[in-house]
Amino acid sequence: MTAPHGTRHAPLRARSADEDGFDDLIHAPVRLRACAALDSVREIEFGALQTLLDISKSALSKHVSALADAGYVTQRRAVRDTRQRVWLRLTPAGRAAYRGHVAALHRIVGRADA
Amino acid sequence: METIEPVNQEEASAALASIRDSRRRLAWSGYPAWYWPATGAALGTLSYTIELSSWWALAASVSVAAALVTVALAAGRARGVCEGWAAGAVKQRDRIVLYVPAAVVMLAGAAASKVASWTPIAAAVLLFALFAGTGLTLSARAARR
Repeated sequence: MTAPHGTRHAPLRARSADEDGFDDLIHAPVRLRACAALDSVREIEFGALQTLLDISKSALSKHVSALADAGYVTQRRAVRDTRQRVWLRLTPAGRAAYRGHVAALHRIVGRADA
Repeated sequence: METIEPVNQEEASAALASIRDSRRRLAWSGYPAWYWPATGAALGTLSYTIELSSWWALAASVSVAAALVTVALAAGRARGVCEGWAAGAVKQRDRIVLYVPAAVVMLAGAAASKVASWTPIAAAVLLFALFAGTGLTLSARAARR
């Protein structure tokens, strides 16, 4: 039986998704928008994602760390124009978790429509 | 650890809307100012050179196609976005709005070239204006949101 969405789960690092694909870690608004952007492309520079989400550098760092700790995002450092830049990419596990979460959201909307 | 309250239909709908908004912003924002005019000019030039039947025209077409790829890669680096082989954030409807009128103008120019010699040039100029105008408009709209 699937646990209701409000229940407390095992620690995020171990598991954050319900059996139906709903993922508490991804569902936080900023992380959801970040994952939506990352899912559309191969990788995004940290600064570009910060501009897109319109949040502070420290706030984005916190969210990226949470996603990275869960194994959903990888970070790659590269130098361009003498400045070091960080590129972010969804891992296969992160992409699967994000898509599962979106499917779960669609099911919730559809269930209520039925 | 943060916990999430039970998600109802309204919250799920809002979450899906935020996903769509994030994808739309990613698709159209952050382009450098030169990208749309440069790509429009390259497409216009390409539509003209492929009409000409000579070796230099073929070489010019290949060069312009290579320039198009270079411009796209440079814009990606400037935006801080690498699309790779991913499907991309641009929706099918937006692709149609951007590329179909340009393709129609290109085909119309090719068909009309048999009637008057100046039509490929007019088509190239129109294609440039259409592509650059549509791209700049969509980017500006995404930036305002």
